[in-house]
Amino acid sequence: MPDRPDMAAALAAAPLTNLFRVGGEMFAWSDELDGRRNALLTHLIVALAGPGRTVLVAGPHPDHLVAALAAGGAEVTWLLRSLGDAERAARRHPTITVRAGAFGKIDLTAGYDLVVAADGIHRLNSAEGDQVPAGELIDRLASAVRPDGALVLMHDNLLGAHHTVRLDPGRRLRDDAAWYPADEPSAGNPAARAQLTARLADAGLVVDVAYAAFPEPTAPAVLIGGDALGDVTSPLRPWLRTVLTQAYTTAFRGRAVVSDPRRLISRALRAGAEDTVAGGWLVVAHAPGDAPAARTERHDVLVGDVNGAFTWTVTADGPKVLVPHESPLERDGLRRLDVPADPAAGALVLEDRLLELCAAADVRSLRREISQYESWLSAQARDGLVGGPAALADLSSLVITPAGCAVLAARWEPVEPVPVAVALARGLWQFAVRLITWARPHPWPITASAADLAAILVGMAGRSLADGELRAAVDLQMLIDTAEFGLSPSERQAYRLELLAVQPGTAPVDVAGYRELIEALWRQRYQASHLLAMMEWTERIIESRDAALSRMDWELQLLRRGWGGRGLMLAKRA
Amino acid sequence: MHHANHHYGHSHILARYCGLPDPRHPPRIQGYLQHGWNIGDGLAPGTPYVSGSRLLVWSEETRRRSWSQGRRNVVVVGAPFAYLVAMTPPPGQPGDGTIFYPFHGWEGQQVHGDHQRLIDEVRATETGPITACLYWNEYQMRSVRDLYEKAGFRVICHGYRGFWWQDHNRDFLVSQLAELRRHRRVVSNRLCSAIWYGLVAGREAAVYGDPMVLDNADPTFGGEPRLHRQWPELYGQETDFATCHRLARAQLGADELAGPEELRMLLGWPKEGYV
Repeated sequence: MPDRPDMAAALAAAPLTNLFRVGGEMFAWSDELDGRRNALLTHLIVALAGPGRTVLVAGPHPDHLVAALAAGGAEVTWLLRSLGDAERAARRHPTITVRAGAFGKIDLTAGYDLVVAADGIHRLNSAEGDQVPAGELIDRLASAVRPDGALVLMHDNLLGAHHTVRLDPGRRLRDDAAWYPADEPSAGNPAARAQLTARLADAGLVVDVAYAAFPEPTAPAVLIGGDALGDVTSPLRPWLRTVLTQAYTTAFRGRAVVSDPRRLISRALRAGAEDTVAGGWLVVAHAPGDAPAARTERHDVLVGDVNGAFTWTVTADGPKVLVPHESPLERDGLRRLDVPADPAAGALVLEDRLLELCAAADVRSLRREISQYESWLSAQARDGLVGGPAALADLSSLVITPAGCAVLAARWEPVEPVPVAVALARGLWQFAVRLITWARPHPWPITASAADLAAILVGMAGRSLADGELRAAVDLQMLIDTAEFGLSPSERQAYRLELLAVQPGTAPVDVAGYRELIEALWRQRYQASHLLAMMEWTERIIESRDAALSRMDWELQLLRRGWGGRGLMLAKRA
Repeated sequence: MHHANHHYGHSHILARYCGLPDPRHPPRIQGYLQHGWNIGDGLAPGTPYVSGSRLLVWSEETRRRSWSQGRRNVVVVGAPFAYLVAMTPPPGQPGDGTIFYPFHGWEGQQVHGDHQRLIDEVRATETGPITACLYWNEYQMRSVRDLYEKAGFRVICHGYRGFWWQDHNRDFLVSQLAELRRHRRVVSNRLCSAIWYGLVAGREAAVYGDPMVLDNADPTFGGEPRLHRQWPELYGQETDFATCHRLARAQLGADELAGPEELRMLLGWPKEGYV
């Protein structure tokens, strides 16, 4: 709940001629609008608007989306339940119409050419007045679409990985907006993509495309639709695993969860079941009319950068940038990459292959794969230095091809090339950290640290790992994560120390999963009981050796007393 | 950490393979190295195991069995003999005659059986000169040695494997490899390390004759009848070399050998200054 309003300032402010109260508006309330850009959503939605078209934006949305619609010449009406939010919106966007109140109160008779509900349906009811059930909210949104008009609706998936892994005790009781919980199933609320599209069809709309959205409906970074969805034979599948892992890593970093969502997503992808565990579904539908609906672009996959404007899609001809970066980005000696790599380069992600071999304890094949990775990386180097995306590619971003490895998806490259030994050590050390902190099975000592495992892995490639190389590799990892997540100097140092100290009992360093923490605890107990047993053994062995030493000393003393022994001692002293 | 790591010069061979500066005096191996071919969990029966320690076994099959017996920190490193073979260039000659290993226990056990009947069967089967390699305690029994010498066998002993960090024959396996390569065939009355060693060294192998009875034999893992059932290919006076060779490489982990840097880490021999 926001602070009390400043009455003096409110009275002094100029009247807002573009703000209308429709009833049910909430006082002393803010939905705290998400100010983050989402270029992916903006790109999709703005393409459906255009000069002179009427647009209803229903519920809280990123400010820049509304600005982009208005800048494109659309006649925008924005409905917000919070009066305070509505006043701020009306002030910031004088060319649009803002309506404050509950969605159930707004007059939709005239209809709109485009109805946008990318925030979903949960913030359309207000605390005041009747509560419109979920299904009816969807029906009302659909009914607001004029013939030939379009609806863009994001719908939360209650079976989504983000709900399944949530570990947030007392969340509902801390959430002022949860007078009714948003994540409880209710009759009429579509629980699957097919149910959602069926509901819209029943409401008279034609569904153009229904994307599975990841990682969360509030901030989608990857949309999968069309033929790619659920197709385990698609050549894009390894690449999808990589981009989804990146998206979930960014979204869940530092968040406590029941279990690492990347594990669930990865398994869902293998099963072709990603639709089932998606964060939500983004549907683009149109109302039949006289003109053919040609405006909707259909993509198999759309990928956005949660931290920037960059958005791209995959076509039959390869990757295509839809929204480029606003400006080149360099941080801490690393450069943000613009051009996506080839998503269909290979069928097997190197990290997946190594994890499989680790679980099967197939050291012979592991040695072969790691040696091939080392050869590939070395071949990229000049004078022992490697630059470009290969220098910083995680094993999860590399795919195995007949010609060696290929970079599947890269986000950064070093401005100055790095020593190949350091690039190799970073890749393998990071894999070692994942083996330990993800509690993955591997054929090496379970009491080994990440540094030990990294040295074994580097040794498998026929190289040795020097202390300095390992430290440089850890520093390089810290630089990558600093650039990616914008770590502060103090966070960097803490993170660096954390990375250097990854032991068998270490919990995950990015996403804190309860399951992974319990695994770490089990390993700590194993380690502790082993150390206690070692102490006991060491005591016993010292005792036995003390006894042996005493016996030998006794023998020596006897020997020294004889003439031969005395002569020997004299000679020694001389 | 366990004194058995030095048996047969095992730790010394591995130190040489890893390029340690003083392989005659290797550092302590961080864990228990399997010291003989084993149909149990990789540890010799009765070894006082420090809970949670690394168990460094020869083969993936032993690792699996060890896991099934409750061991968790089990790592396949391969047999030291396989490392020795990899480090020792093969001789030009194919070898001549047969080396025969009568079944033995260790010094705490005695074998009961009819040596003379065994000698007669080996003489009747083998062509060419025969060497009998006795375990050190049998080699010291004049009566047993005489039996073999009277039969015209050349009688040798690879030496004492050492005990409690003392009296190790560091070149035990070195001389065993030389003897194996000197012959064309290796035979025994029981499937044992020497048979697998001979096969990995490139020699034909066969197991036949009275398997004899061991004092205090541990029946936990099935004993001699189980050997016969699980590896029938090795039994009989004539065996198929390619098949047996493949089995031997698997049992000794000869295709899983780690590189020197990798092995150094697995044995817990880090370099100075390592993080």
